[in-house]
Order: sequence, then structure tokens, then C-alpha cells
Amino acid sequence: MNTNAILSAKNRINVIQGDFYVSDDPQLVLSTVLGSCIAICLFDPAIEAGGMNHFLLAEPGAGSERDPLKQRLYGAFAMEQLINEMIKRGANRSTMKAHIYGGSNIHRAMAHIGTSNANFARDFLRQDGIPISLEDTGGSAARRLDLKPATGQIRCKHIPTEDVPSSAMPPLRPAAPARVGDVELF
Amino acid sequence: MGPITILTVDDSPSMRALLKHALVGQGHVVHDAEDGLIALDWLNRHIPDLVITDINMPNMDGFGLIEALRKQDRYRDMPILVLSTESSDEKKVRARDAGATGWIVKPFDPDKLAAAVRRVTH
Repeated sequence: MNTNAILSAKNRINVIQGDFYVSDDPQLVLSTVLGSCIAICLFDPAIEAGGMNHFLLAEPGAGSERDPLKQRLYGAFAMEQLINEMIKRGANRSTMKAHIYGGSNIHRAMAHIGTSNANFARDFLRQDGIPISLEDTGGSAARRLDLKPATGQIRCKHIPTEDVPSSAMPPLRPAAPARVGDVELF
Repeated sequence: MGPITILTVDDSPSMRALLKHALVGQGHVVHDAEDGLIALDWLNRHIPDLVITDINMPNMDGFGLIEALRKQDRYRDMPILVLSTESSDEKKVRARDAGATGWIVKPFDPDKLAAAVRRVTH
């Protein structure tokens, strides 16, 4: 992996919590900082394109989002957005490779959240038949993640949480969009 | 409301499992298919009360499935709900013109889904 090429990228997009991005631009780097959240990096060599999402199932005490089914639905939404965008570009579930990052148990009071997020991501990818080629989850450190989507090159650096600027670690919030489950009958 | 038979169509095994879990929990009988072509094959042999379909799928997408069903007399009036991560007006209009009964944006809320199922099947 050419780490210098990733670090010196001029075109960088920060993938914030609840967001995703897919590209085949060889000049582009996708970056994020993870605590309890999960980022899935997908790359399909057949189309030389990749992408990253960044999501959290739910925070404790978030009302109805404590419902396990609703938590899984939020996570499935984040996964499906990323996978659908890859498939629209010609990717295939069986030829894509997935990396899982994040899921740290940073906050003692929320020690299970990171683990739950990582378990969900792993189960979803396995059930959807997308091979997991690398997983770096758990622990108590934050992670700085950089992905070159056109090549699949990834750099993941563990960083002490005290070294992470507060602006890079937003308050935990579930990944659901504002209009959850809107129904429109024609 | 008694149990109804629902065919769900989605290329994601994880999403099919979640949808089945929610609908079976509401007392319905659920069958599933992974794309429009497989759904059409099943629908040639069975007649459900409702179809809930994703849009973005390989082989035959949700639009193709709706158009193919509306050409058949026995499926001219059966309710068809779209369940998709997409929410653009352009795609909703296309689905409506193809013959869809309604559009639900993922991630679905199980309670709102149950209400929509009740409304379109009674």
C-alpha cells in the first residue's frame, strides 16, 4: 500500500456519520474518523471502484431506536445505500471485497455499542454474500481511515481518543434519515 | 385483519430477512424472491394478496416487475408497494405510471408498514 499517496491526496472527501460515497476517481481519497461507529469499505476490482459508509445503529436511550428490529433496519439502510451504489456502477456482491473498521468501545457507559455495531456489520455482509477480506474492530482507540476507492488501497491508523479533535467525533446519533419509513399511496 | 399472503422482492438477503421478520410478526404469510424474474416465476404459480418490491435489483428491477404484472389480467388490480432506499420524485412518478399502488422509503418503520399493508389490502 502506498501510504504516502493516500496522505498526499489533493481530492479528499470526509464521509461523515450517516453518509456514504462511491467513486472510481483515481485522484480521490475518502476519509473518516471512527469511534463506536462502523465504516464499511467496499472495492470491486472488476470495475475499479469502491466506496465507504459510516454509520451507527443507535445510541442508548434513543426511544424507539432501542428496538432491536429498528436498529437493524437503520444499519441495513446504511449498508444497502452503499451496496446499491456499487451495483449501479456494475459491481457484483460476489466480486466485491469488504473491510470492516471501527466499533470501538470508547465510552465506558456505552461499552456494548461498538461491539453491537461490528457484529451487525459482519452478520449483514455474510448474509448478503459479500466476502470480508479484513476486519479491524473493537478496542478502545479511535481510528482514522483513508480509502482510495479506485484502487481499494486503505490506511487505518489507531489514535488515542484524546488526540482526536472534538469536531471529528460528533455526538452519537443513529444513521436513520429524517423521513423514516415515509409512506406515499398513489 | 386476518393474515394475508405477501410476496416480498429484494436482492439483499439481509433485507428480505428483516422484512419477513416484521411481516410474519404482524401475522402475515410471507414468501420472498431475490429479483423481478424470480418473482414473476413464483407469481405464475401463486397469487398473493400483495407484492412489496425493491426497485434496484439485477436481472429485472422493480419497475420491470410492476409493468409485467400489470399486463396480466389477474394482477391488474392487486396492490403493489415499492420499498426502496430511493426517494426521488422522478422515480416515484415512474413507479406510479407503471402501476404501483404506493411507495415506502427505507428504512421502513414496522408500524407504518403495517398501516400501509392494511390500507392497500382492505
